[in-house]
Amino acid sequence: MNSMQGTGNGTPGAGRPVRVVLVDDHAIFRSGLKADLHPSIKVVGEAATVEHAIAVIAQERPDVVLLDVHLPGGLGGGGREVIAGSAALLSSTRFLALSVSDSAEDVVAVIRAGARGYVTKTISGAEITDAVYRVAGGDAVFSPRLAGFVLDAFGTAPADIADDELDKLSARELEVMRLIARGYSYKEVAKELFISIKTVETHVSAVLRKLQLSSRHELTKWAAERRLL
Amino acid sequence: MTSAPERPPLVRRSDRFIAGVCSGLAVHLGLPVNTVRLVMVLASFAGGVGVVFYAWLWIMVPTAYENARRQGRRPASPIAPAVSGAPLTAAGLPSEAHPGGEAGQGPRGRADAGRGTAQAGGGTASGGAGGPGGDGPAVEAARSPWLRLQDMRYGKEILLGVALLLVAGILTVQLLGVDVPLETLIPAAAVLGGASIAWMQLDETRRAGLVDKTKADQAGGWARLAAGLALVVAGVLVMVSGSGSWEQTWLALLASVAVLGGVVLVLLPWGLKFWRDLEAERAGRIRETERAEIAAHLHDSVLQTLALIQRRAANEHDVVRLARAQERELRSWLFDDPGKDAGQLSDRIKAVAAEVEDLLGNAVEVVSVGDTAVTEGHEALIQASREAMLNASRHGGGTVSVYLEVSGARAEVFIKDRGPGFELLHVPEDRLGVRESIIGRMNRHGGSATITSTSDGTEVRLSFPAAQAEKFPPVQPDRVQPATTEGRP
Repeated sequence: MNSMQGTGNGTPGAGRPVRVVLVDDHAIFRSGLKADLHPSIKVVGEAATVEHAIAVIAQERPDVVLLDVHLPGGLGGGGREVIAGSAALLSSTRFLALSVSDSAEDVVAVIRAGARGYVTKTISGAEITDAVYRVAGGDAVFSPRLAGFVLDAFGTAPADIADDELDKLSARELEVMRLIARGYSYKEVAKELFISIKTVETHVSAVLRKLQLSSRHELTKWAAERRLL
Repeated sequence: MTSAPERPPLVRRSDRFIAGVCSGLAVHLGLPVNTVRLVMVLASFAGGVGVVFYAWLWIMVPTAYENARRQGRRPASPIAPAVSGAPLTAAGLPSEAHPGGEAGQGPRGRADAGRGTAQAGGGTASGGAGGPGGDGPAVEAARSPWLRLQDMRYGKEILLGVALLLVAGILTVQLLGVDVPLETLIPAAAVLGGASIAWMQLDETRRAGLVDKTKADQAGGWARLAAGLALVVAGVLVMVSGSGSWEQTWLALLASVAVLGGVVLVLLPWGLKFWRDLEAERAGRIRETERAEIAAHLHDSVLQTLALIQRRAANEHDVVRLARAQERELRSWLFDDPGKDAGQLSDRIKAVAAEVEDLLGNAVEVVSVGDTAVTEGHEALIQASREAMLNASRHGGGTVSVYLEVSGARAEVFIKDRGPGFELLHVPEDRLGVRESIIGRMNRHGGSATITSTSDGTEVRLSFPAAQAEKFPPVQPDRVQPATTEGRP
C-alpha cells in the first residue's frame, strides 16, 4: 500500500499512469484488450503461461495484473497458480481476474487465491479501464455475476450480528451486493442507498475480504456443487 | 407354471412377516393374505412341505424393488430372480459341460474374466453411453440357441421342470428294476449344475456392471459362484474317486491343485497384460469418440456461425447478435448438465432472455440466485419478465441486466436498462405493453410490479410470493400435470 503513491482515488484518467501486465493465453484477446484500454494505462508486460506470467510479474512489479482464469502451464491451476506464485508481491500488485468462464468454482477459486475482483471478458474498454483504476486504488471490483455468486454462496439472509461475522454478510452488504447483481454501478448503488461511493467501496471490500477469508466449508462445497462442467 | 398375463407379477412384497413371500403370493393369486399364510402354516405340518415351498419361493422370487429395477432393463421372467440371459457367448461356451478335469477350471477362469468385463462396463457407463450399447448387437447375434432358451419367458422354469422330470424318470425306471448307473449320473449332474450356476453368475456380473450394483448383490454373486465351484469340484472328485481309494483321491487332488497353481502363476501376468491392453484400447476408443463428437459439434455450430459473421461483417448489429447466440449455444453445450431438469425458474428466465436477445440483438445478462421449480403462478412472472425485457431491449438500446432472486418467501425478477427512461403517466392509454402485460398480469396472479424510470435508465421489479406456489404442492419435475389441474380454479 505504501508503495502505491497517489493512486487511491480510483477515478479513470486521474493520477499517474497505471502499470499493467496482461496475462492471457490468447494473443488476439491480449492485443484487443491493449487497444481498448485507456491511454493512461501502460501495458508493461504480457504473458501467456503460468510460468511466464510469474516471471514477468516478478520482474516488472506492475500495479495491476489482468489475469485470465484459465491458463496453460504450471500445475494446471491457471490464474490461481499465478497469484499463489506471486504471493510475495500481493501487497503492491493487485490482481483482476478476467474470464469467459461461467463456472462459480473457477471464479471463487481465483478470488479466494487473492484476486481483487472479477470481470467478464465481454465488458467494454471503458468499463475495464474503470475496473483497473479501481483495483489499483485498492478497491474490489464485482461484476453482477460475481455478486450473484456471492449471494448464492453466503445466502440472502443477513447476519444477526453484523460486525465480525465472516460467514455471513451484513444487511447493508447484502443490499449492496443485490444492487450490483441487478446491474447497478457503484455510483448508482450509492445514490439508491443514500450513501457515498466511498462507503459502497468499503462494503464491497468487506465482502471481498469475507469471500477470501471465510473458512466456512460450505463456500467450497457450494462452489463445487455449482461446478457446471 | 401356467402363464397368466393379467396377474400381477409374483414378487416378494414389503409388507411382510418373514420375507414377504405369503403377501406376494396372495397378491399374485388374488387371495386374502391370511388365507395364504394359514395354508402355508398348515402345509408346514404336513411333513414340512410348507417350509420347503416357502424357502424355495424365498430364494427364487425377487423382491418388488429388484423386480422393478430389472424390469426397467429388459423383460425378465417374473419369477426368475436373475437369469434372463446376458451375453456370455463371446467366450464360446460349449453347449454342455464335459465332466472332466478341465471342467473345474473352466468356469472359474471365465467367471473371473466376466467379472473384469463387468467392471469395465461400469467404467464405460459413466464415461459415455456409447460403450455398453455398442457391444449389444454383436453379442446378440453371436448368441447360441442354447442360451436363447434363457431369454424365453419362463425359460428357467422350463429348464428346472425338465431336470425334475428327468430325475423322476430315472427314479421310476430304477423302481421298475432297470439298473441305472447312479454313481456316475449324480456326479455328472453335480458338475453340470455347478457349472451352470457359475455361468449364470457370469451373466449377472456382466449386467451388474451396467446397472448400479449393491453390496448384497455382490455378496450373493460370490456365494453363487462358490456354490457352483464346490458342486463341480465335488462332482469331479466323486467321479474320479469311484475308481480308487480316498487316499489316492486326496493325493490326486493335491497334485491337481499344485498344477493349477503353477499354471495360474505362469499365466497370470499374461492375463493381466492382456486385460490392461484391452482396457487401454477401450479408453482410447472412448476418447476418440468424444473427440469426433466435439469436432462435429464445432463444425456444425461455431464454424458455420463464423462463416455467417464474415459474410455480414458490414452489419455490426447482426455480427453481435450472431456472436451472442453462438456464445450462448456453445456455453450451454459445454457447461450445462444434460441430465439436469430444465424446468427450473432460472432456466426459464434464461431461455426467455435468450429469446429476447435473438429477437432484438441487444445483450441480456441474467444473474440468478437461488432457484425453484416452476409453478402455474410463475408462468405469469416469466411472461411479465419477457415483456419487460423486450421493452428494456427495445427502448433502452444497450445491455439489459436481469437479476432473479428466489428466496423462501418470494421470487423476484429485476430488469434494468440504461435507456433514456419514460414516464408511466405519459404512456398512451392504448399502449398495453407496460400496463397490461407487466403490471396487470402480475397483479392478477397475486404478485406485484413496480417500475422506476429516470433519465439514467429504467428498472422493472417483479415480485411473486412463494406462498402462492405452496398451495399447489406438486412442484416436482413433471409439472405439466399439476399445471392443468391447477388451471381450473
